[in-house]
Formats: sequence, structure tokens, C-alpha cells
Amino acid sequence: MKLELAVNGERHAVDVPPNTTLLSVLRDDLNLTGTRYGCGRGQCGACYVIADGRAVASCLLTADQAARMEITTVEGLADGATLHPVQQAFVDEDAMQCGYCTSGMVISAAALLRRDPNPDETSIRDALAGNLCRCGVYGRAIRAVMKAASPS
Amino acid sequence: MWDRRDPERLEQRIRVERDGSITALSGKIEFGQGIRTAFAQIVADELDVPIERVNVVLGDTDQVPFDFGTFGSHSVAQETPLLRKAAAFARHQLIDRASAKLGVPAEKLDTDAGVVVGGGKRVPYAELLDSEPLAGTIPDRVALMPEKRRRYAGRPMPHVEARAIVTGRATFVADVRLPGMARGAMVRPPLRGAKLRSLDDSAARTMPGVIAVVRQGDVVGVVAERDEQARAAVGAVVAEWHAIPVDGPTAEVPMQSDADVDARLRGASVRLAQTYVLPPIASAPIGPSAAVADVRGYGATMYVGTQRPFGVREQIAKILGLPEKKVRVLPQITSGTYGRNSAADAAIEAAILSKGSGRPVLVQWTREEEFAWSPSRPEAVLEISAGVAADGRIAAWRYDEHTNVHTAAGLDPQVLVVTSGRNAVPPYAGFPAKVTLHIEPTRLRTANFRSLAAAENVFAIESFMDELAALSQQDPIAFRLRHTDDDRLRRVVERVAERSGFGERPGGRRGRGIACTVYHGTYVAQVAEVEVSLSGAVRLLKVWCVVDPGQTLNPEGVRNQIEGGIQQSASWTLKEELLHRDGRVMNTGWDTYPIATFRDAPDSIEVFVEGDEAAPPTGVGEPGAVPTAAAIANAVYAACGARMRSVPLTRERVRKAMAG
Repeated sequence: MKLELAVNGERHAVDVPPNTTLLSVLRDDLNLTGTRYGCGRGQCGACYVIADGRAVASCLLTADQAARMEITTVEGLADGATLHPVQQAFVDEDAMQCGYCTSGMVISAAALLRRDPNPDETSIRDALAGNLCRCGVYGRAIRAVMKAASPS
Repeated sequence: MWDRRDPERLEQRIRVERDGSITALSGKIEFGQGIRTAFAQIVADELDVPIERVNVVLGDTDQVPFDFGTFGSHSVAQETPLLRKAAAFARHQLIDRASAKLGVPAEKLDTDAGVVVGGGKRVPYAELLDSEPLAGTIPDRVALMPEKRRRYAGRPMPHVEARAIVTGRATFVADVRLPGMARGAMVRPPLRGAKLRSLDDSAARTMPGVIAVVRQGDVVGVVAERDEQARAAVGAVVAEWHAIPVDGPTAEVPMQSDADVDARLRGASVRLAQTYVLPPIASAPIGPSAAVADVRGYGATMYVGTQRPFGVREQIAKILGLPEKKVRVLPQITSGTYGRNSAADAAIEAAILSKGSGRPVLVQWTREEEFAWSPSRPEAVLEISAGVAADGRIAAWRYDEHTNVHTAAGLDPQVLVVTSGRNAVPPYAGFPAKVTLHIEPTRLRTANFRSLAAAENVFAIESFMDELAALSQQDPIAFRLRHTDDDRLRRVVERVAERSGFGERPGGRRGRGIACTVYHGTYVAQVAEVEVSLSGAVRLLKVWCVVDPGQTLNPEGVRNQIEGGIQQSASWTLKEELLHRDGRVMNTGWDTYPIATFRDAPDSIEVFVEGDEAAPPTGVGEPGAVPTAAAIANAVYAACGARMRSVPLTRERVRKAMAG
């Protein structure tokens, strides 16, 4: 089916089979591979995007549903060469190891700061609870989000 | 290709490019442990260039020298001196060339940020390549950069690829996109090792997007334009299988057999025998296995996540019937896999599907496939008996490790001792010991797992040391210290006790536990603080860790690795258990195999990197994970009196232990 998606401030026309997920369209049709496949069931957070201001699992949205939303992927967070404060804080805190889950974490944190610019640690843990990390960078990621919230 | 016995050659290690950038080559692989950054640091230092100008190529089998693989946290330890020498040798050659070109004696020349300078003249490295690239056998001894001129090594540095990761532009294996690339999905048997009896793919072939149904032996898969189409068609393939559960091998290996152990055990004034049990667990990478194969008439190019690119090349060449030199393996950055990647499953599948369809093919496993078909850490049952003499010292020690094969490296007893038997021999001295490794059969597919069997053995040994100390009414730290004559072990234990304030007892339902180990030359001691609720729920609050990995290149990288090891190990210890029957794994996703989340992360993990700078650098990717389980179990005992000899420390299990 033919659809038009609003992704990272641009409109993209795609033609995909019915029930194709937003994740699949992003990765396979729009070549936005920063949104990662992890489980296909909304249980790991690797595929999170910001849809109409909220962090959601793109593996659970169909492209058809997404066509009615404003989508931001990890590729769309930076302002030209200037990283989003969350991205910059993840770099500064070295809040990553393999980096596979990082896109999803950065998206969750950016969505959190958009609705709550000064979250406490518990709010950060809650907002990122859907983002699994196997390398174990949780502590660093919490520090990074706190830093992004209140840049010194 | 280069013979693995040849001496190291400069052109296999360092290239000065025409644009003045430096390419450093290594067969080692980055998978989150930070080696790309560590290698860039030493090469930038020795060649005296800004680190941004160093490009580290890892594992491209057409470019890098043969390498057996990246295992056991040894990568930095083995490669660092080699790359350092190579880079220093390159700098000397550049100075010699500049000397000839400028007519200035080499002794009067120096380097500065990629330029040779001296005698009032200067020439950039890139202008010294006119005749031919740098080459030659790297001598055994090369004068290195004096320590005070090193700008990067020893300093904290974020990952060199951090920016690409946070912007989503880093290309993981499943992100490789080639012209004409199709997607593959496999038809799975009911059990591993099943033989294909019959196959009807007539319906599948007519489905939308399907390009081919490919069969090679008992491997069957569908190639389609889109992933969803390939998976839909897999559901339409009718396959009949002959499935018989596969039992793993058995073996018995004596690891230490001192005299008098049994007699001394009988004569000891205090005796204790306990059994510790750890279930199988999954590597459970967040990114499931993936590979891209581009197989053409003239050869194959493989984009894979692997720890042993040359091993994959050999395997793929055999499967495709190609000479090895016709197969190029290009390792991509990959989700952390903690040992799982030693098996190149997805690469083999992608190669077969690409050959059968004539298209480049990406195979990416689903989450269900990753749990069902990946190799796992085997279960372990550890029996320990020991006696304590009247003077408070251990009189004798008997240890029986029952586990399954922990590696694909085979049943050679010498190999088993360092894999399945890793850290079964305690790091303590002053008593005779009998240590035996029993490999027992399992139907579960097992393989290399972070730290191999060390995490299991150290859980048993360090829990038991606490039990022995308590039974003989000794302080757990003093008891450990009186059984070691190794100053580095003594130091990390004393330091972690100081750093954590181990002597102060936290109040309420909180407790602290200590554990330590020596893992492949890296010394680690940890203190965990937990709170145990009345219903048995264990919350990990804090961890302190002192690590001595010898000479330390990148302390921030060490901290990150050790923190991660602790966090992952806490997840194993508190949450994880793989369920299986006849070799079939029952866990299918993160709901049936929960791991630690942001909510479970402790309030703090403080890592103190206190390397003995006189000792050679040792690995840090694995040792952080090794003592954590025992530190947590010992803390639970201190908090509520429940001695946990089985993990995971689920609420139900802890509650029962508190009642008993």
C-alpha cells in the first residue's frame, strides 16, 4: 500500500505490503538503520522512536498507523553538527559499550526531557525502564540523562 | 595469505596513507570492550599524530594478519605491545626517510603531530611515501616514545565511535545494505541436529516477494525481497524432520591432586561440605545474530559479527566449496555477545542462502530464534569439602566441578582445564587440594560464555570461603588474607575493604558481602551491599570494586568494562535461568527470560582502577563479572542470615532459605 510518512521533519512516500511495521519501513525503505531490531514485541526498547512526542516501539506500530504521526528517529535528534544534549551527554559519560541499545535509550531520554526538563533519578529509571541493555551501562546512562537535564 | 608463523611485518600492521592518516591493522575484534580506542591511543602516541587521524581496521581478512580470535579478555594484552612496536618502527622509518630527503642527520630530527621536524626544516609524513609504502620485519627491540611524550595512553577517553553510535549512524551487521540485497529466513527443525526427511516448498515459492527456497543438506531457508515476506513463506514450507535429542560428551579431568587431602579432611577440627548450583543462562545479546553474505561466482564477501574472522573464513570456504583466499570476511560492529559469537551460525546460513539465490542476503534472527538456537552457558554443580585446623587455617580442600562442555574447543583435557575448569583451582595457598572437573552430558547447546566457568566456580569458592570463616568464627577478610601469599590479591582485598568501609555494618535489613578472584592475571575484589525484604526480595544497592589489571592504558575504558561486568553478573545472579527440555529452550523472549532493567540497576557501582604499573596489562572484559555472584550471596547472608547456594536469588528461593 502507498503511504506518506513524516519522519525527521521530511515527508517520505513509500509503497509497502499491508501490516508492514514502522520499524521495517524505517530500516528497509528509508535506510534509517539507527532504529534497531531487538525483539519485535516491544519488550526491549531498541527500536524506540518518538511518535507525536512519545517514545514508542516502532516494531509494534504499523506503517499505516505511523502515517498519521510525526516521527523522530535517532538520526533526527541532532541539529546539524550539534548533537542533542542527550546524545552529547551519552558521549561525555561514555554511556555505552556495544552501542546496540543506545539509539533507543537516547530516544527515551529525549522524549522524557521534552515533557519533564528536570526529572529526578526515579523518573529517569522509569522512563528508560523499557530499554534493556546487556552490557550493563545503566548507571552511566542515568548519569548522562541527569547531565543532559542540567548541563553544568 | 600470510603464514601465521611468519615474523610480524610492518606493512601488515601500520599504513601511512597519502592523506597523512594512519591505518592500524589488527585481527582482533571490537565488541564493546573498547579495543578500537585502546589501539588508536597507542598508535597515535608512538607515531606522534592526533588520535583523530588514526583509523583502526579490525579483522578484515584481506588486510589484517592472521589471528586466532578475540577471546578471554586478552586482546589488549596481546596486541598492545605488537602495535606499539609497529607504530614506533614506522616512526623511525619516517625519520630515516626525512633524513635522506632533507639532508639532516636522523639524530637531529624529531616528530610533531604527523610532521618530521629538525634543522629548521619540516616534512609531513604523507610526503615521505613517494617511493614506496613503509615495510619491513618489525625488529624485536624498537626504541619507544618516552612515557612523558605519550598524550593518549593512560588517559580516560570515550569510545572513538561514540558519536556514530549516539546518532544512529554506526553500521551494525544488520545495518549493512548492499545493492540488490534480499532477506533470508530459516526453516527451523524441532531439535538441533535433526535430519530433513522431506520438503514441500511449492506453496512457499508462489508467495509474494519470494525469490528462492534454498536447501543445502539439512539447512533450509527462504530468500525474499522483504524480511516479512521471507518469514511468511517459511510458515508455508512443509518440512518433515527426523529428530533425536543430541547428548553432549562426557569427560573427567583431574586438575590438582595433592597427597593427603582425604586424611587431612578427616583430621580437621572443623569440617564443612556444601554444594552450589547455577542454572544454564543465555548470552541474550540485545541484537540477535545477523550476517550478510554476498556470494558470487568468483568468491564471497561476508559481513559478520564474529570474534574469529579467520575461523569464519575457513568455515565459509568449506561450506561454499571455495578456496579460503576467495572468501573475504569483513567484521562489522556488533551487539555485545559475551562469547556467543564464537559460533558463526547466521554467517553459514546467509552464505548458503546467497549461493542458492544468487543475491546478497541478510539473515537476521528473531528474538525467539536467538533464545532457541544460540549456545548457552551450561549449568554447574560445585561440591566443596574442606577442613579448618585448630590454628584457624584450612587443612585440606576437595573440589568437584560438575558442568558441561563450556566451549566449542573440544575435549582435549588441557583445553578443558582452561575452559570448563577455569578458576576451579582456588587462588588460596597453604593447604593440599584435590580438584576434579567432571564434564557431564547435556542436551542443551553450550558454548563459550563470558569468563567461561570462572563465574560459576568463583561463586562456589567465595561463598564457601565465607561459610568456612563463619563456621570457624573468623573475619571473612582476615580469613582470606591469611590464605594468600600473593601481594596483588592481598592489596585488592584490603583496598576494597577500605573503600567500602566494610567494617561498618549497614543497619536494617541490609548487609555487605565480599568476594575476590584472580582471573587470567587480573586481580579483582568486590563488596556488594544488598537489602533483603521480609518476603525475600533482594535489591542490590551498591557495589565497590578494586581492580588491578596491571599497566593501564585507558582507565575510563577499564571502569566501563568492569561496571558492565558487574551489572551483567548481577542480572545473572538475581534473575536469570534458562529452561530447556531435550535441548529445546523454553524461554522465547524478555518476558520469559527477564534480565536486569534500569529499575534494577544499583544506586552506584564504584570501580577503583589500581593497576600495578610494573605488571603487564591484562584483560578487563571478563573479570569484573566473576566475583559478583558470591559478593551478592555473601551480602544476602549478612543481611538476613539466609545462605544462598543456588542462583538466581529469586524472592521465593530467598524466602524459603530465610524460613529454613
